[in-house]
Amino acid sequence: MTAPTPRANPTSPTNPASRAAGTSRANPTSPAAIPSRFGGEFLAVAGTVAAVGATLVVAGVLLALGGYSPGEAFGALVRGAFGSWNRFVSFTLVQATPLLLAGLAVALAFKAGVWNIGAEGQLHAGALAGVALAVSLPGAPAPVLLPVTLLAGAAAGAAWASAPAVMKTNSGVSEVITTLLLNFVALFMAQFLVQGPLQEARGVFNMTDEIPAAARLPALLPDSRLHWGFVLGLAAAAGLWVYLARTPGGFRVRATGASVRASKASGRFDPRRVVRRAFLASGALAGLAGWVQVSGVTGRMYEGLSPGWGYIAIAVALLARLHPGAVVVAAVVFGAFGAGGAAMQRDAGVPEAWVRGTEALLILAVLAVDRTLLAASRRRRG
Amino acid sequence: MTALDQVDFELARGEVHGLLGENGAGKTTLAKVLAGLLVPDAGDVEIGGSPVRLRSAADARSRGVSMVHQHFSLVPRFTGFENVALVDKAAWNRRGAPATGYRDRVEARAGELGLAVELDVAVARLGVGDRQRIEVLKALMGETRVLLLDEPTAVLAPQEVDGLLAVLRQVARSGAGVVLVAHKLDEVLATADRVTVLRRGRRVLHGEAVRFTASELAESMVGREPAPRDRFSDKLGVQFVTRQGRDSGRTADRVEDEAVRLLEGGAHHAAGAARLSSRAKGSSVAARLSGVVAGRGEPPPLRGADFEVRRGEIVGVAGVEGNGQRTLAAVLAGVTKPRSGTAEVPREAGWIPQDRNAEGLVDGFSITENVALALHGSATWRRGPWLDWRSVAARARVLSREMDVRTPGPDAAVRTLSGGNQQKVLAGREFLRAADLLIAESPTRGLDVAAARAVRDRIARLARGEARAGSAVPPPGVVLISTDLDEILELADRIVVMVRGRIVPVPPDGRTVAAIGRLMLAARGKAPDTGAGRSGAWS
Repeated sequence: MTAPTPRANPTSPTNPASRAAGTSRANPTSPAAIPSRFGGEFLAVAGTVAAVGATLVVAGVLLALGGYSPGEAFGALVRGAFGSWNRFVSFTLVQATPLLLAGLAVALAFKAGVWNIGAEGQLHAGALAGVALAVSLPGAPAPVLLPVTLLAGAAAGAAWASAPAVMKTNSGVSEVITTLLLNFVALFMAQFLVQGPLQEARGVFNMTDEIPAAARLPALLPDSRLHWGFVLGLAAAAGLWVYLARTPGGFRVRATGASVRASKASGRFDPRRVVRRAFLASGALAGLAGWVQVSGVTGRMYEGLSPGWGYIAIAVALLARLHPGAVVVAAVVFGAFGAGGAAMQRDAGVPEAWVRGTEALLILAVLAVDRTLLAASRRRRG
Repeated sequence: MTALDQVDFELARGEVHGLLGENGAGKTTLAKVLAGLLVPDAGDVEIGGSPVRLRSAADARSRGVSMVHQHFSLVPRFTGFENVALVDKAAWNRRGAPATGYRDRVEARAGELGLAVELDVAVARLGVGDRQRIEVLKALMGETRVLLLDEPTAVLAPQEVDGLLAVLRQVARSGAGVVLVAHKLDEVLATADRVTVLRRGRRVLHGEAVRFTASELAESMVGREPAPRDRFSDKLGVQFVTRQGRDSGRTADRVEDEAVRLLEGGAHHAAGAARLSSRAKGSSVAARLSGVVAGRGEPPPLRGADFEVRRGEIVGVAGVEGNGQRTLAAVLAGVTKPRSGTAEVPREAGWIPQDRNAEGLVDGFSITENVALALHGSATWRRGPWLDWRSVAARARVLSREMDVRTPGPDAAVRTLSGGNQQKVLAGREFLRAADLLIAESPTRGLDVAAARAVRDRIARLARGEARAGSAVPPPGVVLISTDLDEILELADRIVVMVRGRIVPVPPDGRTVAAIGRLMLAARGKAPDTGAGRSGAWS
């Protein structure tokens, strides 16, 4: 497996603020209020499929209006994402991996009623901590270095989320504000570190030294870029699914997200503690996403490591209606958009911005369908 | 739930009309209908004899209907004058510039009404009384035919109250109709020409103010069901219709005493209560509070409460809503910790909270999940690290059958159930864990007669220990918090009244609607009671 050089990375950093504005809702109700059942999972799934279909239709019309051939563009997109086994595994699934972990982070937080908009910052914190540890322990063997750096990445993400968590539960400061602002802090911190203390020994580019081979996640399949981070993401999704559905702790997370007051009044647990823990776990998952990307793909940290995965993760979680299993599917869908979008730009000349716009349209469509179904279920109330 | 149920209301020119009722009786709803803020589902509104359809506050205002809300709608940074000008079209000329002479007109109007207002100070720096006068002036700048005031005296000091009431009489004399929404009887009786009393969304009494005494109004507000003992109200009706004139004080007192005597004669509960409480004698204490101060805000909703409930007894807690009952319940349930004083409460209690949809149940959860919310802590409902969903679902199914919950199954979202069925789920769930103590806040709210009967019977059986036949464990203590005095008189062995965050015991010979009603209404000014965390979810 060869790591692409940073400059070869086809995606570019986008403005986090505009991305966040596009995907967060100015809705004071708890994010977990987004219903996962309307008296039938079928309706929810059918609604999502309808939303995806409607989005593609609108996107096609926009393409046509822009003077592109929708057929050609979609063809390039599909070929780029699914055209061959290697395209699918080495591009779509590789792009899906950080989205999967960060999407789970957002889904867990939203389930607990926490608007964690800070996955982007937590992801950077995790990547930085992992890199810093890996380059300072050049001689350590892989069985030591891999688990230690994974833990460090998760811990750094949790640490980055800890201040917003405590501010929320102890003083009622809105986590939307704190996590969003800390994203900028994390991005600038990353910029500073790769230009200064963590810059490569040559001192040429704004990036760190390459991490030792012992800190690299091994390839999952021969002759592909897909790494064990994807399996880690799948395991995290399965674990979170079982945790939320079957365990008392997961039930408390869902109850807290659905109603803090009813949870408190139940006298069974302190929803504040649930919120703090879920917030930290969310940060840890996002931190893991950052380090896994470095360890599995890039091999170093540099400015613009993430094309806004922490924000796209919000879209992933919402598209999945916060269900961990569905997050896997949604992450692959957005991974395909990423991989196919690059191919579309190359082969059909359609700008990257169109892909980003389509992603945003998809979220709007899903939210609109959600609200409609929710209103319908309220009307059915006997 | 219907907030107003086929209510007729009539306001004459030049009168002050007192609109009375307990909290939740529908007073504010009625006022909002008149002010165009709520469109009624059925029925008509007429102004000056012609039917109107008021769709918004602006709509109502253009027809001469203004409302002064409990919470003021003033821009704090603006001066009094700016606030008045903000909402008055006449303040601006056609080009959008300030109209000439408007300032003079505002001052003239204030003088006419006898309103002493500060026009040139930012509202933020004014006291509540000043703000309210600006609010009143604002409402009266146009052609006002109807002025509605929602509990205007609740925020005022006693000396300011007299001033406001004088202004209202002046407004009425100028030809407008004034609706004074209130629950303080003396103010209404001192000001109003006519009164209308609402209870549970229905008009229960109306007529000229001079025909009624304070205790009659109190009784009709706190209510008694149209029960078999209606002969008393018949007699009272005859007695009171003969009464003439507001200043025939001695007659009034005599009639009032007569009413109390008659009512006490009808209080068939007293004997039964004495018999019941002997059961609790010598049993152990289920919960005890001494000198408990608790809740958010200054002054705190609960300030120095002494309270005790023994196993096997039902203690009824009466009181005007907002006098600390919700905080009392939260402290007894162990959810709110006292700021000072000691609270000995069981580790676990059944609690039917007042706010069913915010504190009792999770709307989006199924019946099973809502049952799990209350039960999932104990080992019975776990299997290894897992929540034993199958057992919880089975329990939910049994509960639905026992409580006669109309539902397709335990997986139905609580949101899809009617309010009554939700209440049944909540009550049934809390009965399950009331081993030591049950705190029931308005437990029969939203239930039809039969379902309410069933819940009351269940509470009585629970306290008598019949709900768990053959068990050697002593029955739990029950705290019944309700604004429905009939419910309390029927069930409670002992009654206390909450007045401004304190708990006043009712002597055994004072178990009548009239006597308890008087105690309840002794509260001047409401204590803020935010419950277990209405404003701050994290407290």
